[in-house]
Amino acid sequence: MNLRAIRALVAKDFTLFFRNRFFALITLLGLVVYVALYFVMPGSVDGTLDIGLYAPAWSPAPDDIQQKGLDIHVAESEDDLKDGVVAHDYVAGVVLPGDLVEKLASGQNPQIDLYFASDTPEETKEAVASLMRELIYVQTGQPLAVDFSTQVLPGPDMAGQQIPPRDRLRPLFAVLLIVFETYGLATLVTEEIEHRTIQALLVTPVTVKDLFAAKGITGITLAFGQGALFMALVGGLNQQPVIVILALLLAALLVTGIGFLIASLAKDMMSVLAWGVLALVILVIPSMGTMFPGVITEWVKVIPSYYVVDTVDRVASYGSGWPDIWQNLLILLAFDMAFLLIGMVALRRRFQ
Amino acid sequence: MAQDAIAVEGLVYSYGDLVAVDHISFKVAEGEILGFLGPNGVGKTTTVKMLTGQLKPKGGKAHLLGMDVARDAGKVRGEIGVCFEQTNLYEQMTALENLDLFARLFGISGFDANALLKRVGLAGREKDRVEGYSKGMKQRLMVARSLVNRPRILFLDEPTAGLDPTSAEAIRSIILEERARGATVFLTTHDMMEADKLSDRVAFMNKGKIVALDTPHNLKQQYGKRALKAKVQTQAGELRDREVVLDTPETPELVHKLFAGERVVTIHSEEATLEDIFIKITGRGLEG
Repeated sequence: MNLRAIRALVAKDFTLFFRNRFFALITLLGLVVYVALYFVMPGSVDGTLDIGLYAPAWSPAPDDIQQKGLDIHVAESEDDLKDGVVAHDYVAGVVLPGDLVEKLASGQNPQIDLYFASDTPEETKEAVASLMRELIYVQTGQPLAVDFSTQVLPGPDMAGQQIPPRDRLRPLFAVLLIVFETYGLATLVTEEIEHRTIQALLVTPVTVKDLFAAKGITGITLAFGQGALFMALVGGLNQQPVIVILALLLAALLVTGIGFLIASLAKDMMSVLAWGVLALVILVIPSMGTMFPGVITEWVKVIPSYYVVDTVDRVASYGSGWPDIWQNLLILLAFDMAFLLIGMVALRRRFQ
Repeated sequence: MAQDAIAVEGLVYSYGDLVAVDHISFKVAEGEILGFLGPNGVGKTTTVKMLTGQLKPKGGKAHLLGMDVARDAGKVRGEIGVCFEQTNLYEQMTALENLDLFARLFGISGFDANALLKRVGLAGREKDRVEGYSKGMKQRLMVARSLVNRPRILFLDEPTAGLDPTSAEAIRSIILEERARGATVFLTTHDMMEADKLSDRVAFMNKGKIVALDTPHNLKQQYGKRALKAKVQTQAGELRDREVVLDTPETPELVHKLFAGERVVTIHSEEATLEDIFIKITGRGLEG
């Protein structure tokens, strides 16, 4: 390896990268926008359920029925209650009829009206209905006819560890910043081939190995630098920084391998764009799992970026340590090696 | 006796079934300019690619400055300069940055890019990005880049193609200066006049083979005919062309008859061009 030549090539690549207005702008803007978005998003979880209550003939003192996580607001009239629901002051409006107690005592089913805004999700409607049933049993003194038995199944129990929305977005932003560099690196390599500057380099003492080393360093530095800087700015390195940094470094290696592969497949700059967008979309999918838990199933584990997202999320958000994520890092390393090898073999053919 | 700068023996290259270079052998002495001529697709560029280490020969051997091109590729590349036919500069960088980059790749310290740029007539534009240069300026920068390491062998592929006369002349002067410095020049060109003017020897390549290799003078002697071309005026006042072939036993008598019997208006000698000779040898033109 010719270290002096590699250093010169890396410096040249950075010069060209930042002289490309598109990449310079996207790199800077991406970082600024993602950091700004992070801080704009709520930093805490509001787990309180606001319920409006109108009970004309029966006025329970709100303090009596306040429970942990439940905030009851007593309305003056049914119209006030409806207005409050429409204005999203409450998640639901509850109207308790005047003959509620009498009907319960005589064994009849009283009618309770529940009001919801048009955009209230079904599960919220069901949850509020169940809540009201329990509340009325508690308020009327009539015990439930059955007992509930609660069991917790084995597995990671994240109950009570609600993650603020902005922290849920953290892995997505970090992965977006890193993954975008597949496109940046593939563009740098494809430009060398398309403009035939690669020929000029290969008639100097520079070898193909030197070229790969230089492009690899450029790709890893660009991807890792942005990811690490973002995580540092948004507090993602506060817990287990070594693991997070290692995960980001492995992610940067991954995008370098994919960048090589794209450059070997692309015929021109347009096809770099097409392949780049495809890679971006696929690699971002696992991030959805942290934003919307439950929507992602097991198949997502075939996407290598899953192991970055899962590691970063579990470490930065839940404080997981080496025993929890070492397998992730190992699998990620295997993906890195595979993509780098395939990418370099394919690209070498194009160089020649 | 001067060492051979380039020694090629039985060099072969094929793309699948197509034999691009077919067992060619030749030598170029140090300090010599060899014009490498032939139409497109006859194997000139493939030959240059093998000599500069861009392609691995399928057969035969090539030595540059005594080093095996295949085995000592790294060392060989440190001693050569290559100017490509098509522009391949870093266009978003300045001329200075382009030259400095290549100086660093060659491991040259204390490189004076400004002096080299001045030599190729780009002084004053050294800090402009190459994307704003004209074709002639880019080509001059390409030549400058090939000189960064003061190469002992300079490969120039169509260095003046499509250039304005001033830029072309500037590049020709640099080629001669390099030869004067002691460099060997391997010049691939379509321009027969240029090859004739610059080359110590020329090689004609056709269908992957070298079909002729000699000095322009010897080739003309061997394959061409020299003649006197005259315009004469008839008694009716019309102008007619007359030609007397030189170097034959009848030439003196024919020249005498021309001046004695006709009213000669203009007369000049004419000799075969390299293109005429190429056509005569290969049966095809150089533009094919």
